[in-house]
Amino acid sequence: MAYTEEELKKELETKEYEYGFYTDIESETFPKGLNEETVIAISKRKNEPDWMLEWRINAFNAWKKMEEPDWANINYKRPDYQDISYYSAPKKKEKYKSLDEVDPELIETFNKLGISIDEQKKLSGVAVDIVMDSVSVATTFRDTLEKKGIIFCSISDAIKEHPELVKKYLGTVIPPKDNFFAALNSAVFSDGSFCYIPKGVKCPMELSTYFRINQAGTGQFERTLVIADKGSYVSYLEGCTAPSRDENQLHAACVELIALDDAEIKYSTVQNWYPGDKHGNGGVFNFVTKRGICHKNSKISWTQVETGSAITWKYPSCILKGNNSIGEFYSIAVTNNFQQADTGTKMIHIGKNTKSTIISKGISAGKSQNSYRGLVRVNPGAKNARNFSQCDSLLMGNSCGAHTFPYIEAKNNSAQIEHEATTSKIGEDQIFYCNQRGIDTEKAIALIVNGFSKEVLNKLPMEFAVEAQKLLEISLEGSVG
Amino acid sequence: MLEINNLHASVDGKQILKGIDLKVSSGEVHAIMGPNGSGKSTLSTVIAGHEDFEIDKGEILFEDEDLIDFNTEERAHKGIFLSFQYPVEIPGVTVTNFIKTSINQMRKANGLDEMPANVMLKKIREKSDLLKIDSKFLSRSLNEGFSGGEKKRNEIFQMAMLEPKLAILDETDSGLDIDALKIVANGVNMLRNDDTAVVLITHYQRLLDYIVPDFVHVLSDGKIVKSGNKNLAIELEAKGYDWVK
Amino acid sequence: MDFKEKLISSFMVFEQDIDLSNPVHEIRSRSLKKFEEKGFPNKKQEAWKYTSLAKILKSDYGIFQKKEVTIELKDVQKYFLYEIDTYKIVFIDGIYSPFLSDTTHDGLDVCLLSAALTNPKYKSLINKYFNKISDKTDSLTLLNTSFSMEGAYIYLPKSVTAEKPIEIMHFSTGKQGDFFLQPRNLIIVEENAEVQILERHQSLSNHRPFTNSVTEIYAKDSSRIDYYKIQNDREEAYLIDNTYISQNTKSNVHVHTFSFGGEITRNNLNFYQNGENCNSTLNGLTIINATQHVDHYTLVSHAQPNCESHQEYKGIFSGKSVGVFNGKILVDKIAQKTNAFQQNNNIVIDDRATINTKPQLEIFADDVKCSHGCTIGQLDEEALFYLRTRGIPINEARGLLTYAFANNVLDSVKIPKLKSRINQIISSKLEIKIRHEL
Repeated sequence: MAYTEEELKKELETKEYEYGFYTDIESETFPKGLNEETVIAISKRKNEPDWMLEWRINAFNAWKKMEEPDWANINYKRPDYQDISYYSAPKKKEKYKSLDEVDPELIETFNKLGISIDEQKKLSGVAVDIVMDSVSVATTFRDTLEKKGIIFCSISDAIKEHPELVKKYLGTVIPPKDNFFAALNSAVFSDGSFCYIPKGVKCPMELSTYFRINQAGTGQFERTLVIADKGSYVSYLEGCTAPSRDENQLHAACVELIALDDAEIKYSTVQNWYPGDKHGNGGVFNFVTKRGICHKNSKISWTQVETGSAITWKYPSCILKGNNSIGEFYSIAVTNNFQQADTGTKMIHIGKNTKSTIISKGISAGKSQNSYRGLVRVNPGAKNARNFSQCDSLLMGNSCGAHTFPYIEAKNNSAQIEHEATTSKIGEDQIFYCNQRGIDTEKAIALIVNGFSKEVLNKLPMEFAVEAQKLLEISLEGSVG
Repeated sequence: MLEINNLHASVDGKQILKGIDLKVSSGEVHAIMGPNGSGKSTLSTVIAGHEDFEIDKGEILFEDEDLIDFNTEERAHKGIFLSFQYPVEIPGVTVTNFIKTSINQMRKANGLDEMPANVMLKKIREKSDLLKIDSKFLSRSLNEGFSGGEKKRNEIFQMAMLEPKLAILDETDSGLDIDALKIVANGVNMLRNDDTAVVLITHYQRLLDYIVPDFVHVLSDGKIVKSGNKNLAIELEAKGYDWVK
Repeated sequence: MDFKEKLISSFMVFEQDIDLSNPVHEIRSRSLKKFEEKGFPNKKQEAWKYTSLAKILKSDYGIFQKKEVTIELKDVQKYFLYEIDTYKIVFIDGIYSPFLSDTTHDGLDVCLLSAALTNPKYKSLINKYFNKISDKTDSLTLLNTSFSMEGAYIYLPKSVTAEKPIEIMHFSTGKQGDFFLQPRNLIIVEENAEVQILERHQSLSNHRPFTNSVTEIYAKDSSRIDYYKIQNDREEAYLIDNTYISQNTKSNVHVHTFSFGGEITRNNLNFYQNGENCNSTLNGLTIINATQHVDHYTLVSHAQPNCESHQEYKGIFSGKSVGVFNGKILVDKIAQKTNAFQQNNNIVIDDRATINTKPQLEIFADDVKCSHGCTIGQLDEEALFYLRTRGIPINEARGLLTYAFANNVLDSVKIPKLKSRINQIISSKLEIKIRHEL
């Protein structure tokens, strides 16, 4: 006789977050607390030009006057912003020229994460930028990309080496005063990735950033800026992990995308920050502002698989400014145990003949709460705007919640907007059917959830899709019941 | 192979099977007929191990092991296949993906390695050709939007892929036109050999023209009230079920 | 003095005319206090994000009746379902009009709330039901409660079927200038009883009535209620309608809201399912133009297993009109096997019209079927083309398709004369000629 459901549950409960290790690397970490001096110190530590410091100070002054938003469908203890260290970097670092120079401990960290930098370099042809705590530690393929005129580097390097581009675009999509977390990020961001694709260039490989929070008591505030010049194309991947800790860790990132005329940006995220333990202790607070602007005939496509974090507050958005531009949002958000996610998108139709598509799949298990929150706005000038939204929720067990809050505002009579949402559970008959075909319940659930999420998984680049499928399975383990 | 002794089963406290005795040996085809509500589908579901049904009395032995100790998937691993009267939809999971998962889980349970992709592919092609299944059909979501006939044909396709020892076909003939019926019957006949057994649950004699049974049993109010050879089915068709009551 | 202050200071005047020892008065003063704290809602509040009261609150309104006004039946007959026999409870500028009314105490009670509040005979029912399900945090409901005095009181005893529909009619004459009206209705339908109710607010001259109405409805086990709200007032009228419905086991409540008239209309429609196997149906049809603004704010709270709810709201918007739909379905943890559906479809005729829609689902139970959908679009071009190939001129074709879009909301109207009446309103609103075969 197979083991009972109870036994299965017990076994799964003891399964731990796979990425919850901590790497013992010597770090330079700022003392806790945030004031103007901290901002100046960060800027100084990074040898930034004066204009950058000024920009940060302005953001900091704005932030001081702002209040933490409370409209989202999440409950958490507000972080004490004075009890966080705003800068932590692996020590002994000058810029690595090649991977051989990288601290072996660090290489080991990434091997554990399943990101073998060497392997990636040789096999999959993915260029990787790695941000540990607050600092970019390794960027691969830099030279190969440079030949095509593609700039792919840490944002700190970009500030120094390409100030004209950074100055021109930084904060244009997410103004420093946009919201509480964006303002905080603008003041204290320590690193992140920068990417520029020149006119007409199709980036020959996936660009990828891996983020990791390592040190205790630190916040991570990275800033990503992607500019796709006219007629160019880039596919960008982002992955995140953090060690298991009892305390909550703060992550407040900003990602700005600029798609100039006829350009296309595909931005994929697999977010697997530490979600906290099964009692709801610890876990990352993930407050992220992501937004892209589409110029004429351009396209921005956001794809996200959100399985981690104790709290997720995230709305990757598209401003469809140019005529005929296209915005897409594909999302899978899985919450288990005590996780809470409030995520969705905003599609702002400004240009004529703009189109947007939203596919959101929420899966809630355990005692978690999972909300979709979205806005589709059609401005008066946006003739012939089209939107299609579909938000499906799957509930597993009877202690979780699934919520849908779509806002639709149409101010143009030629708009065509369709929104659909459904809520369902995994049917006992589906499980029995699978069982009869020899598939055990755990595997059956994975199969059904993968089927439910398929439309979104299909949008991920190959390398990520497999990882994402595995993550879905891991995240839902122990939710049978 | 299958031996059912004095089986009593109920659902939600309501007794449905009231003492079934049935013995199926390898190489045999049995047909179980009976009016609506006589307990035909319950019998097949209980053999497959559905948890909603309570076995109150009696036993089901499969190759001399009492099935009560095994859950649904373990029974499947032993080689019991149930073709559902109402196959379930699983959106987003393709027929191919599903059968792959199923086969590999069966193999895993029986200590075998996963079936290599090329072998799997070849087998899928071979079986789908035999059952005249279009390759486009294989990449559709399992049973989603399938017509009644497509669903049944898909069940037979899975049976052909899994090659079970015992196949129980619950009303597989209902809702099929004559061409589909022939294809389904052909699939079942292919499975027939000295080591396998088939239990056909049906309301009508029609299917038995194509799959000739060795034994015919009539189920009425939770009991087998009459058993005989294939002529019994013909007699039933002519005289109606009231005749055996 | 702004309107809020005026209301608060008027409360003392109001108190001079009523029995202060009545327990209801305690409820009134408590509510006023809370209203004073909260004030009128503003756009910063999520529930009022798309509807502003600023324009309404700019004007000054009379609060108390200065003189009794009478009107002739022949002048207002057209607002009633005069072709059929009905019970009628009629108010003119907030004062009961015995002359126009047709009430009863024969087998059922169709009468005045003021009578029910003061007559000892009704005391136990009032204690049990008055102000029990209304939202104690909603400032407009609180305001209504503090001045609650007059409105309809309808009571159907066990297993009684009202043999004719009940019409609740509020006329505003404008003879006392812009006027603030706060009707309060209490409707109790006991076990297995059945009733059909129509409610209408109608101004009779060029002025601005501002109505803030509250209705509490109790549907006991296996009762059946059909409630029709006909909102076809003159174009200056402001209406805020707050309806609270409590449903017990196997009850069936159907509310139709037809919003064609008025300048600003806000409908807060709240269903609370408190028994198993309840069925709630919410149908709405909005056809507006010019600068009209209609906001439907619905809540269906599924708190028990095996219940259903069906919402279908349709809207046709021209001119600079604004349509808002904010529908919330709440499914409690214990409300397994809930089936909840919500659909909001809109057609925009004019490019200056605005639609804001927010259909929400909040689900805490896993074995449920819930869905919502909404669309914003135009008439089907292909259908339009098809009609034109059959010789129907474009304007008629448009009218016909728009009418077809709206028409199915009428399918569930159970009173034939009412159906044809609404049909007439629709065709005149859409400026098309439709033959009625009803």
